[in-house]
Amino acid sequence: MYVILVYDIGKRRVTKMLKHCRKYLNWIQNSVFEGEISKARLTEMLDQAYEIMDDEEDSIIVFKSKNKEWLEKEILGFERQSTSNML
Amino acid sequence: MKKTYYLFNPGRLSRKDNTLKFTPVDEDGKEGQPRYLPVENVNDLYVFGSLDANSALYNFLGKQSIAVHFFDYYEHYTGSFMPKDYLLAGKMQIAQTQYYLSAKKRMPLARSFVRGAALNMLKNLQYYNRREKDLNQTIGQIEALMLQIPEYNKIDQLMGLEGNIRQAYYQAFDTIINDFEMGTRTKQPPQNEVNTLISFGNMMCYTACLGQIYHTQLNPTISFLHEPGYRRYSLALDLAEIFKPLLVDRTIFSLLNKRQVKSSDFRHELNRCVLKDSARKEFVKAFEEKLSDTIQHRSLGRSVSYKHLIKLECYKLTKHLLGAEGYVPFKAWW
Repeated sequence: MYVILVYDIGKRRVTKMLKHCRKYLNWIQNSVFEGEISKARLTEMLDQAYEIMDDEEDSIIVFKSKNKEWLEKEILGFERQSTSNML
Repeated sequence: MKKTYYLFNPGRLSRKDNTLKFTPVDEDGKEGQPRYLPVENVNDLYVFGSLDANSALYNFLGKQSIAVHFFDYYEHYTGSFMPKDYLLAGKMQIAQTQYYLSAKKRMPLARSFVRGAALNMLKNLQYYNRREKDLNQTIGQIEALMLQIPEYNKIDQLMGLEGNIRQAYYQAFDTIINDFEMGTRTKQPPQNEVNTLISFGNMMCYTACLGQIYHTQLNPTISFLHEPGYRRYSLALDLAEIFKPLLVDRTIFSLLNKRQVKSSDFRHELNRCVLKDSARKEFVKAFEEKLSDTIQHRSLGRSVSYKHLIKLECYKLTKHLLGAEGYVPFKAWW
Protein backbone atom coordinates (compact mmCIF):
# COMPACT_ATOMS: atom_id res chain seq x y z
CA MET A 1 0.00 0.00 0.00
CA TYR A 2 1.08 3.57 -0.60
CA VAL A 3 0.87 6.01 2.29
CA ILE A 4 1.34 9.65 3.12
CA LEU A 5 2.14 10.29 6.74
CA VAL A 6 2.00 13.67 8.43
CA TYR A 7 2.68 14.40 12.03
CA ASP A 8 2.33 17.22 14.48
CA ILE A 9 4.68 16.51 17.35
CA GLY A 10 5.88 18.58 20.28
CA LYS A 11 9.27 20.22 19.77
CA ARG A 12 11.10 18.01 22.24
CA ARG A 13 10.04 14.76 20.59
CA VAL A 14 10.04 15.80 16.96
CA THR A 15 13.62 14.74 16.09
CA LYS A 16 13.02 11.33 17.55
CA MET A 17 9.93 10.93 15.41
CA LEU A 18 11.76 12.15 12.30
CA LYS A 19 14.50 9.55 12.77
CA HIS A 20 11.97 6.84 13.40
CA CYS A 21 9.92 7.61 10.29
CA ARG A 22 12.97 7.85 8.04
CA LYS A 23 13.57 4.15 8.56
CA TYR A 24 10.29 3.27 6.90
CA LEU A 25 9.29 6.06 4.51
CA ASN A 26 10.75 8.74 2.29
CA TRP A 27 10.93 12.18 3.83
CA ILE A 28 9.52 14.76 1.41
CA GLN A 29 8.89 17.85 3.49
CA ASN A 30 8.94 18.94 7.13
CA SER A 31 6.63 16.56 9.03
CA VAL A 32 5.58 14.81 5.80
CA PHE A 33 6.58 11.35 4.54
CA GLU A 34 5.43 9.16 1.73
CA GLY A 35 6.22 5.73 0.38
CA GLU A 36 5.31 2.15 -0.34
CA ILE A 37 4.90 0.08 2.81
CA SER A 38 3.28 -3.22 3.69
CA LYS A 39 0.39 -3.42 6.12
CA ALA A 40 2.42 -5.29 8.70
CA ARG A 41 5.34 -2.92 8.51
CA LEU A 42 3.03 0.08 8.86
CA THR A 43 1.52 -1.40 12.00
CA GLU A 44 4.98 -2.04 13.38
CA MET A 45 6.01 1.51 12.58
CA LEU A 46 2.92 3.12 14.12
CA ASP A 47 3.22 0.98 17.26
CA GLN A 48 6.70 2.28 17.84
CA ALA A 49 5.68 5.82 16.92
CA TYR A 50 3.00 5.65 19.57
CA GLU A 51 5.69 5.00 22.15
CA ILE A 52 7.43 8.23 21.18
CA MET A 53 4.27 10.35 21.13
CA ASP A 54 2.54 12.13 23.94
CA ASP A 55 -1.06 11.33 23.09
CA GLU A 56 -2.40 14.39 24.87
CA GLU A 57 -0.53 16.75 22.55
CA ASP A 58 0.78 14.96 19.48
CA SER A 59 -0.90 13.44 16.50
CA ILE A 60 -0.07 11.44 13.41
CA ILE A 61 -2.30 11.22 10.37
CA VAL A 62 -1.82 8.50 7.78
CA PHE A 63 -3.44 8.69 4.36
CA LYS A 64 -3.55 5.27 2.79
CA SER A 65 -4.01 4.29 -0.80
CA LYS A 66 -4.11 0.79 -2.25
CA ASN A 67 -1.83 1.74 -5.09
CA LYS A 68 0.40 4.65 -5.98
CA GLU A 69 -1.50 4.96 -9.25
CA TRP A 70 -4.54 6.21 -7.36
CA LEU A 71 -2.60 9.18 -6.16
CA GLU A 72 -1.86 12.25 -8.17
CA LYS A 73 0.98 14.36 -6.86
CA GLU A 74 1.40 17.99 -7.77
CA ILE A 75 4.27 20.09 -6.57
CA LEU A 76 4.21 23.86 -6.54
CA GLY A 77 7.50 25.62 -6.11
CA PHE A 78 10.66 23.82 -5.07
CA GLU A 79 10.66 20.04 -4.58
CA ARG A 80 12.46 19.50 -1.29
CA GLN A 81 13.22 15.85 -1.95
CA SER A 82 12.22 13.31 -4.53
CA THR A 83 11.24 9.75 -3.74
CA SER A 84 12.84 8.15 -6.77
CA ASN A 85 14.91 4.99 -6.37
CA MET A 86 17.56 6.18 -8.83
CA LEU A 87 20.14 8.30 -7.12
CA MET B 1 7.25 -4.93 -1.74
CA LYS B 2 10.78 -3.85 -0.96
CA LYS B 3 12.50 -1.70 -3.53
CA THR B 4 15.78 -1.82 -5.35
CA TYR B 5 17.80 1.38 -5.24
CA TYR B 6 20.17 2.36 -8.03
CA LEU B 7 23.08 4.62 -7.19
CA PHE B 8 24.34 6.38 -10.30
CA ASN B 9 25.91 9.43 -8.73
CA PRO B 10 29.19 9.16 -6.88
CA GLY B 11 28.77 9.75 -3.19
CA ARG B 12 28.98 8.47 0.33
CA LEU B 13 26.61 5.96 1.83
CA SER B 14 26.55 5.79 5.58
CA ARG B 15 24.62 4.47 8.50
CA LYS B 16 22.78 7.27 10.23
CA ASP B 17 20.15 6.90 12.96
CA ASN B 18 19.74 3.23 12.04
CA THR B 19 18.85 3.99 8.49
CA LEU B 20 20.81 4.72 5.31
CA LYS B 21 22.04 8.15 4.32
CA PHE B 22 23.32 8.86 0.85
CA THR B 23 25.32 12.05 0.31
CA PRO B 24 26.06 12.77 -3.34
CA VAL B 25 29.45 14.28 -4.08
CA ASP B 26 30.09 16.26 -7.27
CA GLU B 27 33.28 16.45 -9.32
CA ASP B 28 34.75 19.24 -7.16
CA GLY B 29 34.25 17.12 -4.05
CA LYS B 30 31.37 19.29 -2.87
CA GLU B 31 28.64 17.46 -0.99
CA GLY B 32 25.07 17.70 -2.17
CA GLN B 33 21.84 17.43 -0.24
CA PRO B 34 21.74 14.09 1.58
CA ARG B 35 18.95 11.65 0.90
CA TYR B 36 17.74 9.18 3.50
CA LEU B 37 16.74 5.77 2.20
CA PRO B 38 14.12 4.00 4.31
CA VAL B 39 16.11 0.94 5.34
CA GLU B 40 13.02 -1.17 6.02
CA ASN B 41 12.01 -0.80 2.40
CA VAL B 42 15.34 -1.50 0.73
CA ASN B 43 15.73 -4.84 -0.98
CA ASP B 44 19.14 -4.36 -2.56
CA LEU B 45 21.44 -1.69 -3.93
CA TYR B 46 22.97 -1.44 -7.41
CA VAL B 47 26.07 0.70 -7.42
CA PHE B 48 27.06 2.19 -10.77
CA GLY B 49 28.82 5.31 -9.60
CA SER B 50 31.72 5.28 -7.19
CA LEU B 51 30.68 4.76 -3.64
CA ASP B 52 32.34 5.66 -0.39
CA ALA B 53 31.40 3.48 2.54
CA ASN B 54 32.88 2.01 5.69
CA SER B 55 32.62 -1.32 7.44
CA ALA B 56 30.03 -0.01 9.91
CA LEU B 57 27.72 0.43 6.96
CA TYR B 58 28.37 -3.07 5.62
CA ASN B 59 27.79 -4.55 9.07
CA PHE B 60 24.50 -2.75 9.17
CA LEU B 61 23.55 -3.85 5.65
CA GLY B 62 24.48 -7.41 6.54
CA LYS B 63 22.19 -7.35 9.57
CA GLN B 64 19.36 -5.97 7.47
CA SER B 65 20.07 -8.60 4.73
CA ILE B 66 20.57 -6.01 2.03
CA ALA B 67 22.82 -7.09 -0.85
CA VAL B 68 24.97 -4.58 -2.73
CA HIS B 69 25.89 -5.22 -6.37
CA PHE B 70 28.85 -3.43 -7.91
CA PHE B 71 29.51 -2.52 -11.54
CA ASP B 72 32.63 -1.07 -13.09
CA TYR B 73 32.99 1.93 -15.39
CA TYR B 74 31.91 -0.13 -18.39
CA GLU B 75 28.89 -1.46 -16.54
CA HIS B 76 30.34 -4.93 -16.16
CA TYR B 77 29.20 -6.79 -13.11
CA THR B 78 32.18 -6.93 -10.82
CA GLY B 79 30.74 -8.52 -7.70
CA SER B 80 28.32 -8.39 -4.84
CA PHE B 81 28.34 -7.86 -1.15
CA MET B 82 26.10 -10.64 0.05
CA PRO B 83 24.80 -10.74 3.61
CA LYS B 84 25.38 -14.06 5.29
CA ASP B 85 23.08 -16.86 4.18
CA TYR B 86 20.03 -16.87 6.32
CA LEU B 87 18.23 -19.88 4.87
CA LEU B 88 20.84 -22.54 5.42
CA ALA B 89 19.76 -26.05 4.61
CA GLY B 90 22.26 -28.86 4.54
CA LYS B 91 19.77 -31.26 3.02
CA MET B 92 19.23 -28.94 0.07
CA GLN B 93 22.95 -28.51 -0.41
CA ILE B 94 23.54 -32.25 -0.50
CA ALA B 95 20.68 -32.83 -2.92
CA GLN B 96 21.96 -30.09 -5.20
CA THR B 97 25.46 -31.52 -5.22
CA GLN B 98 24.18 -35.03 -5.91
CA TYR B 99 22.28 -33.79 -8.92
CA TYR B 100 25.37 -32.07 -10.18
CA LEU B 101 27.61 -35.10 -9.71
CA SER B 102 25.46 -37.66 -11.44
CA ALA B 103 25.29 -37.13 -15.20
CA LYS B 104 22.02 -39.02 -15.31
CA LYS B 105 20.43 -36.57 -12.93
CA ARG B 106 22.20 -33.48 -14.24
CA MET B 107 21.38 -33.81 -17.94
CA PRO B 108 17.58 -33.56 -17.65
CA LEU B 109 17.95 -30.33 -15.67
CA ALA B 110 20.44 -28.88 -18.13
CA ARG B 111 18.15 -29.83 -21.01
CA SER B 112 15.24 -28.13 -19.24
CA PHE B 113 17.14 -24.87 -19.06
CA VAL B 114 17.99 -24.97 -22.75
CA ARG B 115 14.45 -25.91 -23.70
CA GLY B 116 12.96 -23.19 -21.48
CA ALA B 117 15.24 -20.55 -22.97
CA ALA B 118 14.44 -21.66 -26.53
CA LEU B 119 10.68 -21.70 -25.89
CA ASN B 120 10.75 -18.16 -24.56
CA MET B 121 12.86 -17.03 -27.52
CA LEU B 122 10.25 -18.54 -29.82
CA LYS B 123 7.54 -16.62 -27.99
CA ASN B 124 9.33 -13.36 -28.74
CA LEU B 125 9.76 -14.27 -32.39
CA GLN B 126 6.16 -15.36 -32.76
CA TYR B 127 5.00 -12.09 -31.25
CA TYR B 128 6.84 -10.06 -33.87
CA ASN B 129 5.91 -12.52 -36.59
CA ARG B 130 2.30 -11.60 -35.96
CA ARG B 131 3.26 -7.96 -36.36
CA GLU B 132 4.34 -7.83 -39.97
CA LYS B 133 7.91 -8.95 -39.45
CA ASP B 134 8.66 -12.08 -41.38
CA LEU B 135 10.48 -14.38 -39.00
CA ASN B 136 9.14 -17.74 -40.16
CA GLN B 137 12.54 -18.90 -41.29
CA THR B 138 14.22 -18.28 -37.93
CA ILE B 139 11.30 -19.86 -36.08
CA GLY B 140 11.63 -22.96 -38.23
CA GLN B 141 15.36 -23.04 -37.68
CA ILE B 142 15.04 -22.86 -33.89
CA GLU B 143 12.28 -25.45 -33.82
CA ALA B 144 14.49 -27.80 -35.80
CA LEU B 145 17.38 -27.25 -33.41
CA MET B 146 15.13 -27.87 -30.42
CA LEU B 147 14.34 -31.35 -31.70
CA GLN B 148 17.98 -32.24 -31.11
CA ILE B 149 17.91 -31.33 -27.41
CA PRO B 150 17.03 -34.84 -26.19
CA GLU B 151 19.72 -36.42 -28.38
CA TYR B 152 22.69 -34.91 -26.61
CA ASN B 153 24.17 -36.58 -23.59
CA LYS B 154 27.15 -34.38 -22.85
CA ILE B 155 27.04 -30.93 -21.29
CA ASP B 156 29.45 -29.32 -23.73
CA GLN B 157 27.46 -30.60 -26.71
CA LEU B 158 24.33 -29.18 -25.15
CA MET B 159 26.04 -25.85 -24.57
CA GLY B 160 27.04 -25.87 -28.22
CA LEU B 161 23.46 -26.48 -29.27
CA GLU B 162 22.34 -23.68 -26.98
CA GLY B 163 24.86 -21.45 -28.73
CA ASN B 164 23.44 -22.38 -32.14
CA ILE B 165 19.90 -21.62 -31.02
CA ARG B 166 20.95 -18.28 -29.66
CA GLN B 167 22.86 -17.45 -32.82
CA ALA B 168 19.80 -18.10 -34.95
CA TYR B 169 17.75 -16.03 -32.54
CA TYR B 170 20.10 -13.08 -32.61
CA GLN B 171 19.97 -13.06 -36.39
CA ALA B 172 16.31 -12.14 -36.13
CA PHE B 173 17.14 -9.01 -34.13
CA ASP B 174 17.95 -7.06 -37.27
CA THR B 175 14.43 -7.71 -38.54
CA ILE B 176 12.75 -6.87 -35.26
CA ILE B 177 14.63 -3.69 -34.42
CA ASN B 178 13.84 -0.81 -36.74
CA ASP B 179 16.65 1.74 -36.84
CA PHE B 180 19.64 -0.18 -35.58
CA GLU B 181 21.83 -2.88 -37.04
CA MET B 182 23.00 -5.61 -34.74
CA GLY B 183 25.04 -7.77 -37.09
CA THR B 184 26.68 -10.55 -35.12
CA ARG B 185 26.77 -10.84 -31.38
CA THR B 186 29.96 -9.39 -29.99
CA LYS B 187 30.91 -9.27 -26.37
CA GLN B 188 33.97 -8.42 -24.34
CA PRO B 189 33.73 -5.70 -25.56
CA PRO B 190 30.43 -5.22 -27.40
CA GLN B 191 30.97 -3.43 -30.69
CA ASN B 192 27.70 -1.71 -31.45
CA GLU B 193 24.60 -0.26 -29.81
CA VAL B 194 22.41 -3.37 -29.77
CA ASN B 195 25.23 -5.57 -28.51
CA THR B 196 25.95 -3.10 -25.73
CA LEU B 197 22.33 -3.17 -24.64
CA ILE B 198 22.24 -6.97 -24.70
CA SER B 199 25.36 -7.21 -22.57
CA PHE B 200 24.10 -4.66 -20.09
CA GLY B 201 20.67 -6.28 -19.95
CA ASN B 202 22.00 -9.80 -19.50
CA MET B 203 24.09 -8.59 -16.63
CA MET B 204 21.05 -6.98 -15.00
CA CYS B 205 19.08 -10.21 -15.48
CA TYR B 206 21.88 -12.27 -13.98
CA THR B 207 22.00 -10.07 -10.90
CA ALA B 208 18.21 -10.16 -10.54
CA CYS B 209 18.32 -13.97 -10.58
CA LEU B 210 21.12 -14.02 -8.04
CA GLY B 211 19.07 -11.74 -5.79
CA GLN B 212 16.15 -14.16 -5.91
CA ILE B 213 18.25 -17.30 -5.39
CA TYR B 214 19.55 -15.69 -2.23
CA HIS B 215 16.03 -15.77 -0.81
CA THR B 216 15.73 -19.51 -1.30
CA GLN B 217 17.69 -22.41 0.09
CA LEU B 218 19.54 -23.09 -3.12
CA ASN B 219 23.28 -22.69 -3.27
CA PRO B 220 24.03 -20.17 -6.03
CA THR B 221 27.43 -21.66 -6.84
CA ILE B 222 26.29 -25.16 -7.84
CA SER B 223 24.81 -25.10 -11.32
CA PHE B 224 23.66 -27.65 -13.87
CA LEU B 225 23.90 -26.25 -17.38
CA HIS B 226 26.87 -23.98 -16.84
CA GLU B 227 29.94 -25.52 -15.29
CA PRO B 228 30.33 -24.37 -11.69
CA GLY B 229 33.57 -22.49 -11.50
CA TYR B 230 35.33 -20.28 -9.07
CA ARG B 231 34.24 -16.90 -7.87
CA ARG B 232 30.98 -16.82 -9.67
CA TYR B 233 27.40 -17.65 -8.96
CA SER B 234 26.78 -19.98 -11.87
CA LEU B 235 23.30 -21.11 -10.85
CA ALA B 236 22.21 -17.54 -11.55
CA LEU B 237 23.52 -18.02 -15.11
CA ASP B 238 21.37 -21.14 -15.53
CA LEU B 239 18.23 -19.36 -14.37
CA ALA B 240 19.02 -16.21 -16.36
CA GLU B 241 18.91 -18.29 -19.58
CA ILE B 242 15.18 -18.73 -19.16
CA PHE B 243 14.40 -15.15 -18.30
CA LYS B 244 16.73 -13.28 -20.66
CA PRO B 245 14.31 -13.40 -23.64
CA LEU B 246 11.41 -12.18 -21.50
CA LEU B 247 13.09 -9.54 -19.41
CA VAL B 248 16.04 -8.29 -21.40
CA ASP B 249 15.24 -8.75 -25.07
CA ARG B 250 11.70 -7.45 -24.80
CA THR B 251 12.91 -4.38 -22.94
CA ILE B 252 15.51 -3.74 -25.64
CA PHE B 253 12.99 -4.12 -28.47
CA SER B 254 10.55 -1.68 -26.94
CA LEU B 255 13.21 0.85 -25.90
CA LEU B 256 14.70 0.98 -29.38
CA ASN B 257 11.52 0.74 -31.41
CA LYS B 258 9.78 3.41 -29.34
CA ARG B 259 12.92 5.53 -29.68
CA GLN B 260 13.32 5.88 -25.93
CA VAL B 261 16.98 5.13 -26.51
CA LYS B 262 18.55 6.82 -29.52
CA SER B 263 21.89 6.54 -31.22
CA SER B 264 22.98 9.74 -29.46
CA ASP B 265 22.70 7.81 -26.19
CA PHE B 266 25.80 5.79 -27.03
CA ARG B 267 29.45 6.68 -27.09
CA HIS B 268 31.87 4.96 -29.42
CA GLU B 269 35.28 4.45 -27.94
CA LEU B 270 38.27 2.61 -29.21
CA ASN B 271 37.02 -0.83 -30.18
CA ARG B 272 33.87 -0.67 -28.09
CA CYS B 273 30.50 0.96 -27.68
CA VAL B 274 29.42 2.34 -24.29
CA LEU B 275 26.08 3.46 -22.89
CA LYS B 276 25.84 7.07 -21.83
CA ASP B 277 24.36 7.82 -18.42
CA SER B 278 21.04 8.85 -19.95
CA ALA B 279 20.57 5.52 -21.74
CA ARG B 280 21.75 3.54 -18.75
CA LYS B 281 19.13 5.20 -16.57
CA GLU B 282 16.47 4.73 -19.22
CA PHE B 283 17.28 1.04 -19.49
CA VAL B 284 17.38 0.46 -15.75
CA LYS B 285 14.04 2.25 -15.38
CA ALA B 286 12.41 0.14 -18.10
CA PHE B 287 13.95 -3.05 -16.70
CA GLU B 288 12.74 -2.21 -13.20
CA GLU B 289 9.23 -1.59 -14.55
CA LYS B 290 9.36 -4.93 -16.33
CA LEU B 291 10.37 -6.73 -13.13
CA SER B 292 7.47 -5.25 -11.21
CA ASP B 293 5.00 -5.84 -14.03
CA THR B 294 2.44 -8.44 -13.04
CA ILE B 295 0.82 -11.25 -14.94
CA GLN B 296 -2.06 -13.48 -13.99
CA HIS B 297 -0.39 -16.75 -13.03
CA ARG B 298 -2.21 -19.74 -14.42
CA SER B 299 -1.71 -22.38 -11.76
CA LEU B 300 -1.49 -20.02 -8.78
CA GLY B 301 -4.58 -18.12 -9.89
CA ARG B 302 -3.32 -14.75 -8.75
CA SER B 303 -1.22 -12.00 -10.22
CA VAL B 304 2.51 -12.36 -9.88
CA SER B 305 5.34 -9.98 -10.76
CA TYR B 306 8.14 -11.02 -13.09
CA LYS B 307 10.52 -10.72 -10.19
CA HIS B 308 8.48 -13.15 -8.14
CA LEU B 309 8.34 -15.43 -11.17
CA ILE B 310 12.11 -15.87 -10.87
CA LYS B 311 11.70 -16.91 -7.26
CA LEU B 312 8.93 -19.34 -8.18
CA GLU B 313 11.38 -20.87 -10.63
CA CYS B 314 13.81 -21.39 -7.77
CA TYR B 315 11.08 -23.08 -5.75
CA LYS B 316 10.33 -25.43 -8.63
CA LEU B 317 14.00 -26.29 -8.83
CA THR B 318 14.04 -26.93 -5.08
CA LYS B 319 11.12 -29.31 -5.42
CA HIS B 320 12.83 -31.14 -8.24
CA LEU B 321 16.04 -31.54 -6.25
CA LEU B 322 14.20 -32.88 -3.23
CA GLY B 323 12.34 -35.31 -5.46
CA ALA B 324 8.91 -33.85 -4.81
CA GLU B 325 7.99 -32.72 -8.29
CA GLY B 326 9.71 -32.77 -11.68
CA TYR B 327 11.10 -29.48 -12.94
CA VAL B 328 9.35 -27.97 -15.95
CA PRO B 329 10.95 -24.73 -17.12
CA PHE B 330 8.87 -21.60 -17.14
CA LYS B 331 7.34 -20.84 -20.50
CA ALA B 332 5.58 -17.62 -21.32
CA TRP B 333 1.98 -18.30 -22.29
CA TRP B 334 1.12 -14.90 -23.69
